[in-house]
Amino acid sequence: MSADVNDHEMWRERAAIYALDALTGEERREFETHLQTCLECTAELLTLRPAADAIAQTVPQLDPRPELRDRVLSSVLGEKRTAMSAAAPAPATRVVPTPSPMRWLPIAATVLLAVGLGVYANGLRGRVSRLESELDQARAQSTALQARVTRAEATLASAQTQLNSAQSQLAVFAAPDSRRLTLAAQKGAPEGVAGRADWSPSRGLALAVSNLPAPLAMRDYQVWLLTSGAPVSAGLLPKDAVDGRTVVFNVPSGAPVPIGVALSEEPEGGVAQPGNRIYLVGMMARAQ
Amino acid sequence: MWFAAVIERAGLRMVEPAPERRMVERMAAGDGDALRELYDVHARAVYSLAVRILRSQSDAEDVVQEVFAQAWRNAARYDATRGTVAGWLLMQAKSRSIDRLRARRARPEQADDEAPRDVADSSAGPEIQIVRADQASRVRQALDELPILQRTALELAYYEGLTHVEIADHLEQPLGTIKTRIRQGLLKLREALSASELIGTKRVETSE
Repeated sequence: MSADVNDHEMWRERAAIYALDALTGEERREFETHLQTCLECTAELLTLRPAADAIAQTVPQLDPRPELRDRVLSSVLGEKRTAMSAAAPAPATRVVPTPSPMRWLPIAATVLLAVGLGVYANGLRGRVSRLESELDQARAQSTALQARVTRAEATLASAQTQLNSAQSQLAVFAAPDSRRLTLAAQKGAPEGVAGRADWSPSRGLALAVSNLPAPLAMRDYQVWLLTSGAPVSAGLLPKDAVDGRTVVFNVPSGAPVPIGVALSEEPEGGVAQPGNRIYLVGMMARAQ
Repeated sequence: MWFAAVIERAGLRMVEPAPERRMVERMAAGDGDALRELYDVHARAVYSLAVRILRSQSDAEDVVQEVFAQAWRNAARYDATRGTVAGWLLMQAKSRSIDRLRARRARPEQADDEAPRDVADSSAGPEIQIVRADQASRVRQALDELPILQRTALELAYYEGLTHVEIADHLEQPLGTIKTRIRQGLLKLREALSASELIGTKRVETSE
């Protein structure tokens, strides 16, 4: 057990050093392997990286010489122009040298030279057409690649969305002060309704319910923090989160320490105090 | 509110200012004006970071050129969900500067890795201006307030590209101490960063 704790501390330290890019090569590879299976270190790293990156903002700000702007822009934009003109096949006739120096050559030599130039020009024509077909192929591939990139981007965007949601849940679950509670169905609740919540005073409430029917028209499910005084609204349950999806609620500012969590059905938009349709209630276990 | 802060801190910024993002999209489409705009907004920060790391005006100028050339080439691959445009450029600036620093150290005849430590900022000419946005000044302040060992460890890692083993060696401290100091220092910067983000954030929704 204590070995696990030490191990855990070691990885947390490594996450910080990794965020600063200051691990040795071997440690870096070990940590990257560890990251693949450890959500907690991944979350730790995701929050430490911006802190490391922020160091860049603290350096004294200096103005570069104005000449640098022209140098950078003309080199970068010029580079593109030359790259494009190099890619465009030149007309074959342009590469045949002009015949003016031939005047002083003997006829035979001129003929030989002309034949040679013809062969040379033919070779060039062949090369140009090969290049053209390569370019066509490259264009076709680039269209296909572009489509793949677009698909990959869409996948990435959806993964990012999932990650966001996972991150916020994780923040609640992984908070050191997090407490888990089970919500039980109350009298009059729809058949089979159940719920599970994690509460952290610093991070908020993560709640997942199951088997709750979609709310009726003009109705909403509202989530409550039960306190020693009046219940405090944590907010409305999103209408698509009635079966299985975990939803994270902010800590209402100034909310007292809750002794439990409840869910009720209320008029659409929510109310200040719960009515009599309370479907789920869970009480906080005593702190150890 | 903390949710937005988690997203922010996690670097999963959904709130990149739209004009910035559009600038990069236009660059991806080959719009040279967009590159000019990007340069005008960010060259100063990129240059300043490179000067801080390399302590040399001409090397820093080369880095600026490389960073913007790369931004132009890779504009299509920029992913706004991974971080801000400024963060993207500064990350490039840092890694290129550190590469140069390491190459410079590897050339023994130069042996200048200790030398120009304190003269550096004067190399940028007379127009030195110090501008600090709210967030930068909070992080700066947090950095300044760190115990000297924590701050030095962070700076040696960030500006000199040293590994923690090299830092321990350099500061003649046990490796364990340095590892702990790096983590403590970074945690304090994280706090400062999230505090400034909370102040700048005005989210009132109660759920995701």
